[in-house]
Amino acid sequence: MESAFTYTESELVQGLKAKDQKVFGYLYDRYSPALYGVALKVLNDESNANDVLQEVFLKIWRNIDRYDESKGRLFTWMLNITRNSAIDTLRSKAHKMDQKIQDIGDDVHLYTGNLTVHPSVDHLGLSKVLEKLTKEQRIIIDLAYYKGCTQEEISKVLEIPLGTVKTRMRNAIIQLRNLLKLV
Amino acid sequence: MDVQRYISSGIIENHVTGLLSEVESREVLSTMQQYPEVKAAADALQVDMERYIQLWATKPPAGIKRQIMERLHKTEADEPVVAESETPAETNEDTFSENTGLNISQLQIWQYSAAAAIVLLLGSIVMNVVSYSNSGSYQQQISSLQTEQSSLMAEKEALKEQLEFAHKEMGVMKDPSFKWTRMPGVGKHTGVVATVCWNPQSKETFILAQALPEPPVDKQYQLWAIVNGKPIDAGVFELGNKAHSVQKVKPVENAQVFAVTLEKKGGNPSPTLDQMFVAGKVAG
Repeated sequence: MESAFTYTESELVQGLKAKDQKVFGYLYDRYSPALYGVALKVLNDESNANDVLQEVFLKIWRNIDRYDESKGRLFTWMLNITRNSAIDTLRSKAHKMDQKIQDIGDDVHLYTGNLTVHPSVDHLGLSKVLEKLTKEQRIIIDLAYYKGCTQEEISKVLEIPLGTVKTRMRNAIIQLRNLLKLV
Repeated sequence: MDVQRYISSGIIENHVTGLLSEVESREVLSTMQQYPEVKAAADALQVDMERYIQLWATKPPAGIKRQIMERLHKTEADEPVVAESETPAETNEDTFSENTGLNISQLQIWQYSAAAAIVLLLGSIVMNVVSYSNSGSYQQQISSLQTEQSSLMAEKEALKEQLEFAHKEMGVMKDPSFKWTRMPGVGKHTGVVATVCWNPQSKETFILAQALPEPPVDKQYQLWAIVNGKPIDAGVFELGNKAHSVQKVKPVENAQVFAVTLEKKGGNPSPTLDQMFVAGKVAG
């Protein structure tokens, strides 16, 4: 991960709530690649992802007072804003509602595409992680993390029982946890 | 509460990924406050998700930061699109924030409930109407099936009758004790022919009117058995659709000659001789 962590998360939040632009600039530098990655992965379109990223950071700036530290991590909050904005954009672009869960096969191709295009990623670490996850595990994680699918929806989309979704998702996350320790 | 079961239920994953409704999310949050294990599980899931997402981090184009910084100070009125989309349509964006005004959401709940109740009521009415009209059409179906069945029964009876008759007819033809007498046309009635089938033992007599002209509506053909020049009534018979089947007539005691005359409907006690159409001598 990145080296200089000049603010703790609570310092970040305090600075943002105080409308400190320097803190905001730091927040952007620190988190925009991750959030941009989410927008890209949901929208699969750079120009739309640019728009969504701007919108997301403006929302963070304006709505930071709604964020409650005791309820979860700042990143999770920002991630959910990003994913929902991206999904809203998908819908407003006259994409069908179920587009968010369409073409899982295409997503699999995206993995290799992203690997070569985006140098900010630790290639070896990423591919190591992804190799160890089964295709099913990756699909379930992506549907939940990126596409905003509940486990019930995943069960319907993949036509597997809800219990299997739960088990696979838990196994995937546990495996992911172990793998991430190695990266 | 079974904490492990709760953790493995998947609800925490849905909570962390922001997919629960406000009410469900509040429940998870209060559970997290009560049970440290649940809180720990939720925290760990958030960290995992963050690290996974970080794997896909992609540097955005350089100009975007500047654009955002420039837009920070514009009033929200200048940014109607952004201001609008702060509350997305379906998903609960601010997973961890206080929700705007409980009263409003309760009011909305009531509105939604009322709307749902109306929809259900309408649905139920529609279903009632549909099933009522269905029951009417079922009754129609039943009565039309009943009609159809009785007509089939009648048809069956008619066929049975025909079959029995055909059997009898066949019996007559096979029985060697029947005498067949062919009666050709008499006088001007050339080409006209009928056949009498008579059993001297059982006295049973049948007639087959192969080629008699259709009689006028007020007339009927009558068969006569003639013994020593004296005609004895052997009954009247029909033509029409029975012309080509064997018809039973009165039993005949004795006959040397059979003849057919055209008489008034129901027959005459003695034949009108100038209306004799066919006649034939009994063989042997």
